[in-house]
Formats: sequence, C-alpha cells, structure tokens
Amino acid sequence: MIQVQNLTKTYAGFTAVDDVSFTCRPGAVTGFLGPNGAGKSTTMRIIAGLTPPSKGSATVGGVDYRDIPNPGTQVGVLLDASAQHAGRTGREILTIGARTMGLPQSRVDEMLALVSLSDKESRRRVRNYSLDMRQRLGIAHALLGEPKILMLDEPANGLDPAGIHWMRGLLRGYADRGGTVLLSSHLLHEVQIIADELIVIGNGKIVAQGTKEELLQAAGTYVRGLEPRALEQALASAGITVTPSGEGLTTEAAPEVVGKAAAAAGVALVELRQADGAGLEEMFLQLTATTQRDAVPTEGAQA
Amino acid sequence: MSTTTAPAVSIDTDRPGIPLTRLVGVEVRKSFDTRAGRWLSISILGLCAVVMLVIAFLVTDSGEFQDFPFFIQAMGGTLGYFLPIIAIMLVTAEWGQRTGLVTFTLEPRRPRVVVAKLLAGLIISIGVMLLSAALAAVGTFLASSVRGVDVSWSISGHEIFNFAVSNLIGVLIGFAVAMLLMNTAAAIVGYFVYTLVLPIVVGIVGGLVEWFGDLAPWIELNTALVPLFTGDFDPTGEEWARIATAGTIWLVLPLGFGIYRLLRSEVK
Ligand SMILES: Nc1ncnc2c1ncn2[C@@H]1O[C@H](COP(=O)(O)OP(=O)(O)OP(=O)(O)O)[C@@H](O)[C@H]1O
Ligand SMILES: [Mg+2]
Repeated sequence: MIQVQNLTKTYAGFTAVDDVSFTCRPGAVTGFLGPNGAGKSTTMRIIAGLTPPSKGSATVGGVDYRDIPNPGTQVGVLLDASAQHAGRTGREILTIGARTMGLPQSRVDEMLALVSLSDKESRRRVRNYSLDMRQRLGIAHALLGEPKILMLDEPANGLDPAGIHWMRGLLRGYADRGGTVLLSSHLLHEVQIIADELIVIGNGKIVAQGTKEELLQAAGTYVRGLEPRALEQALASAGITVTPSGEGLTTEAAPEVVGKAAAAAGVALVELRQADGAGLEEMFLQLTATTQRDAVPTEGAQA
Repeated sequence: MSTTTAPAVSIDTDRPGIPLTRLVGVEVRKSFDTRAGRWLSISILGLCAVVMLVIAFLVTDSGEFQDFPFFIQAMGGTLGYFLPIIAIMLVTAEWGQRTGLVTFTLEPRRPRVVVAKLLAGLIISIGVMLLSAALAAVGTFLASSVRGVDVSWSISGHEIFNFAVSNLIGVLIGFAVAMLLMNTAAAIVGYFVYTLVLPIVVGIVGGLVEWFGDLAPWIELNTALVPLFTGDFDPTGEEWARIATAGTIWLVLPLGFGIYRLLRSEVK
C-alpha cells in the first residue's frame, strides 16, 4: 500500500506537486496519469525518499521509505530506465542490484528470462540498448527482490503495442497475487490498457481519481437503437439528456441507467457501451486543460 | 473490529538491513565492472611499470637510484597523481551517470553509502599500492640481476610510512573534493590544483610575503604535512596543530559539507 497525504513540493516558488493525496491499494494496478511536467516523477521520487517534500507525507505500507530495511526486497522501484551507467552490461546492473540486496545470482537469470532479455543481450552494454530493452531491464531490476509493492515511472514509454500488452499481463498477474502497483504515464492509451484505477494529475494537482470504470462512466455512454427516434424519446422521457454521435447517441448517464430506460420503454438496442478511448481521451485533455487555474476535482469513490 | 479487512501488504521493519560489508563489496565491484573503471586501474599500474623500467634500466646507477626504497618512493610519487582518481570516480559516477537514483533507492541511508564508498576507495587504493610495491621489488630485482647494479633491499619504517600515508591522505583529499564538487572533471582538476598548483603558489607567495609564509603551514595541508614526512618524521606539538588545522580545512570541511548537502539534496 502506498499512501500519499497532502503532499506539496515547491521549487523556488514553483509548485510542482500541489496538495496531492491518494492511496494505492493491494491487488490493483494504479495508473498515475498526467501530461508532461504534471508532477508525477516528483511525487514518485518523494515516495522513494529521494526528494524531500515541502509539506505532507508519503508512506509505503505505513512506513517512511527511508525507514525500510533493505528496501529493494520490499518495494520495487523504477524511476528512470535510462539512469544507468552506459558502460555496464544489463546483466551486470542486475548483479549489482542482487548483491546489494543479498540475493543469489540465480535471481538475475530468472529476471532476465521474465523480461525476455536473451543471454546475449544481457551481456551487451546498456549504451547499446533500445529504450524498450532498458525498460525491460528496469522492470527486471524492480522485481529482483520479490517486492510486494511496485512503483514504476513511465515503464511503458518506448514499448511497442506488444510490449505494452506483455506488461499488462505481467502487472495483472502481480496485482492478482496481492501486489500493489503504482505506475505513471503521460499517455492515456497506455494506462487505459494496463491500470485498474486511475489518478489523474495536472499542474501538480489531482484532477480526478477512481476506478477506470468510474472515470469511463464520467466520460459517458454510447448507445444505438434499432429505431433511433424511439430510443431518443424513451431516454428523454426518462430524464436522460443525450447528444447525437454518429449513428447513435452519447450521454453522461451510466450504461446501466440507459439500458433500463430503454428496456422499460420496450426499445430494442443494437449497441450499448461505455464511451470508448476517444471519450476518455477527451476527458483527459479536458481535465488537464482545466487545471490551469480553476480545477474542480471530480473525485471517484476511491479517494 | 474485524481482522479480515484489506489484505495487509505491510512492510517488514524488522528485516535485517544491508550490512556495510556488502555495500563495500558492491562499491568495489562498481569500480571495475566498466571498461573505463578497469582501464583506470590498469593504466595507473601500467604507468608505474613504465616508471619502474625507466629507473631499472635507464637512470644512472651512480647512486642509490636502483635501491628498493627509491623504487618505492618513485611508485608513491606516481600514485600520488593518479590513485585519488579512483576514489573520485566512485563518488562522481553516481551523478554523472545518474546511477545514484538506483543506489540511493536501494540504500536510502545515504551516509552508509558514503562510508561504503570511502572504504571501497581505500581498499582499492591499498590494493594498487601493494601491486606497485611489488613492481618496485621487480624493478630492484631487474636492476640487480639484468643490469648488474649493486642494489640495497633494506627499507626503513619511515620510508614505508611515507609511501603509505602520503598516498592514503591523497586518496582522502580526492574523495573529499569529489564529495564537495560532485563532478568528475571538476573534482580531478580540483585535486590537481590542490596537489600540484597550491604548494607552488604557497611556496612563492610565502617567500615574498612574510606573514603569509608564517600562515601557510596552518592553512595549506601539503605544507603542514612536511614535518610528518621529512626530517625526524616526528612533528612537534605546534606542527601537529598545523596538520590538524589544515587537515580540517582540506579534509573535514569539504567532506562534512558534501555529506550535509547529500543528506538534504534530492537525487534525480
Ligand atoms: N529542481 C527543480 N527546479 C525547478 N522546477 C523543477 C525542478 N524539478 C522539477 N521541476 C518542475 O516540476 C514540474 C514537475 O516535474 P515532474 O518531472 O515531476 O513531471 P512529470 O509529471 O514526471 O512529467 P513527465 O511526463 O515529463 O515526466 C515540472 O514543471 C518541472 O519543470
Ligand atoms: Mg516524469
């Protein structure tokens, strides 16, 4: 469990992180979403005890990160996959980590296999690694000590779609075994694939948080009826405001509400679903754009 | 109160921390696991070997130049310039290559990392010094057996002390300068200014300005250390006080300030 409370970080008058509070619970992958410069990395560095906060606190499992003995065996951290000595081989970087944590050398091979870095690749200097290989190495490093909590800064950056799906599988399994995952991204598309819960940050402030479903709901529902006119009337009489969208309608009401209203009126539906990525994308853009001065947080249940 | 609420993924605060010996071992390893790191040590020893061969075969044999103590002195002089760079790199690589992000995440108790690096730097330095002493012995042997010089193997405690302590002080200064400047190039330049330029400047100015000549041994460590390495090797009370004062200025203050800043700064 990662808990951040009223965290603020100011740099010479500039507020990089502004009164941020959130909790990452075990068993879920929490996505930390925000545009460039939103304050994600700063928040994560504070959690890992690398940056002192100006105000507020961050704890991991109820403990200040700096008070965790041999923290690599309890919290896996990847802050910047490129922050490695370019002249070391990938295998050597993992070996140094394993030695520091007091792990057997066999862990290095296990982790290399887990992230699909071949033996030959592992003996190359990271200077010659692609971004994708660096990310895999960074994830291997974070998982070395078999931690129950993972914190990854932009781990999907540089991965191709297949890589992102691989990571989803990896983190999904990890969370299902009771692990806690916090991962950041500035691409909605990425977190949408990987995360269960979302924390959206813009200009240092949290602008939305909740489960992915809740936030998708907030973005609305898409519905298409066999007879469009009848559907529109049915929804209108149920008090649901709609806007035409392509062949169907979108509304801010939940799919469940829309479905029930249609059923009650005896209108057949061809399609009923949460508004897709495009809708969420819009929300993301809107949310981050409106944080300039006058953010109105739309908090979900998972506060 | 129910005890079966959220699955308690808690942190075990009773787990043993990372022993210092392990941190030191890792730091020693980090000094050799890159091509640059390996070549630094190899080059230093290679240079020692060149100096050794020159003395054994080219330097005039009219004197004591091929005696074991002279070889040791020459090795010490060579190491004096380059040995501290190993300690400097141990510190500055964490910033130049940004590996500090990982290092201080795995061991957030930052002073322990500093102590581990200092010990690693000293261990590697002692290793290189022992190897260079072996080269000195090889040089003495070659001069005697191949060139046929009548050599002396006898070495005094003072000569060994001089070799060992002056080099270790150099390593400590290099480490302190690195902690202060946190940048490889700046730290190496800083160390050379300290070890090469400063004694000359202080000597010249001290010769011209009387009051500065009196002050110099109190504030310039090279000058202050002279009584420790020459004459009867037995500094007087006042000379010890000078070593302590100049040592504070050049060793304790930069190291103290460097550690203080490291504890409060952010690692990124
Ligand atoms: N030392 C510093 N001095 C001044 N401003 C800083 C400093 N460090 C970070 N910032 C600012 O704080 C803000 C937050 O930066 P941060 O790196 O946390 O953003 P981010 O969400 O991780 O962005 P990205 O997606 O680009 O990684 C940025 O505007 C950055 O310029
Ligand atoms: Mg960032």
